[in-house]
Amino acid sequence: MKKIVCIALAALLLLALCACGKDKGPVTYGFLDETLGVESYAIGFRKGDDALMQTVSGAVKALVKDGTYAAIGEKYPDIKDYLCLKAEDISDADLPAKGSGDPSYTFIHGFDLDYPPYSYLQDDGSVGGFDVELCQAVCDYLGWKYQPLPFNWDAKDAELNAGSCDCIWSGFTKEGREDDYCWGITYSNNTQGILVASNSGIKTLADLKGKTVGVQTATSAMDMLEGDRKDLADTFKELKVYETYTIAFADLKAGAIDAIAIDMTAGSFLIANEAAAASK
Amino acid sequence: MTFSTMLSTMAAGMLRTCGIFFLTLLGSLPLGMVVCLLRKSKHALVRTIVKIYISIMRGTPLMLQLLVWYFGPYYLFRLPIGGWRFPAIIFGFVVNYAAYFAEIYRSGIDSMPVGQYEAAEVLGYTKGRTFFRIILPQVVKRILPAVTNEVITLVKDTSLAFTLAYSEVFSLAKQISASQTSFVPFVIAGVFYYIANYAVAFAMERIEKALNYYR
Repeated sequence: MKKIVCIALAALLLLALCACGKDKGPVTYGFLDETLGVESYAIGFRKGDDALMQTVSGAVKALVKDGTYAAIGEKYPDIKDYLCLKAEDISDADLPAKGSGDPSYTFIHGFDLDYPPYSYLQDDGSVGGFDVELCQAVCDYLGWKYQPLPFNWDAKDAELNAGSCDCIWSGFTKEGREDDYCWGITYSNNTQGILVASNSGIKTLADLKGKTVGVQTATSAMDMLEGDRKDLADTFKELKVYETYTIAFADLKAGAIDAIAIDMTAGSFLIANEAAAASK
Repeated sequence: MTFSTMLSTMAAGMLRTCGIFFLTLLGSLPLGMVVCLLRKSKHALVRTIVKIYISIMRGTPLMLQLLVWYFGPYYLFRLPIGGWRFPAIIFGFVVNYAAYFAEIYRSGIDSMPVGQYEAAEVLGYTKGRTFFRIILPQVVKRILPAVTNEVITLVKDTSLAFTLAYSEVFSLAKQISASQTSFVPFVIAGVFYYIANYAVAFAMERIEKALNYYR
């Protein structure tokens, strides 16, 4: 009798598990049409480093002119649409000449290796991303030596001010920090958006009322929701702050949160990775 | 990123983690003894200073201490800090762990019965000889389990070195996780840490057994 009960219970458990695993059709992820706002990514230098800022910004312009900037953009499809510099807008007047830099100078690039697609570990384990490649191209153009410093984002200001690096260049938002750095050229615009699952039923920002929204700590999306768009954040049930978007995205997939506030490039990168994993 | 690339990238990070680990032990185990003896000094001033040192080292986050050791020379004295990064990390870990080890040593030394000191005195042992020949060998045996605890904590604390841009295994796990949108790197890091700590526990157990010559 015991055996029969056991078998019956086991069968019931199995059936229950099967029911749980029933395919509800693939869930996809996408952005709401409404966005939170636009911001600009620029290169942050130490205050007072105007000459260095001019040289690097000039070199970036020269790379826009010669097509290198667009060519690097081609490698990062998530960024391509957000590159704001156009070759036809650049005048030849004040561009630094190729190889005009001091060849013994080492330019130290400070960045966050946690920030795809601007700066992140490549599939072969090397340091890369749009910002890293553009900075390398700037150094090549001027004839400088390039040295990467993948620092801890929380310590970026201390590293810059202490002279451990020459710039912060890692999807670095200018808005709200205008007076804190000597700002170089704005090389990318980015839009802050809301990432949701296709089956969430959320279509507009108003639908986020009473929902739980995730965001990565110390990002512009978080700054925005605590500053200019606090009115919107106040309608949420909760704004959950994560250490990384990877964990926030895992929480979204698990259904623990309803949406993620994230910039379009980083969000597209997450969506693309997710789609690639699903199709495997 | 293929699994083998992930593994080899992280193994390289694990080597860097081990670098901090061994250098910290090398510095903090002996320094802890010095701190402990100063803590037990007869001079009230020395005792108070060491007490304050231990209290600060244990009472503030190690992450903050690392920031202070590395950036302090610049912010306080405007000194250039190029090349100071790795020494600052090791220095920060050593002085922090020395404080903990000092207290472990002290607990061991204080647990020795007074009778042993008295007997040694009767037998004509000098103070130094009493300490090194009679007290210390017994203390080492008694404190080994507590030291093992602390050493295992050190293995995991090495991840704090990323505060100063030192790319050890856990920061690499975070970075690979961001670029691959995957938790696999964290599992790999967990396995690496577990293997390292298993080795530590195994070695310490062997030492405990070897020192257990009276039983």
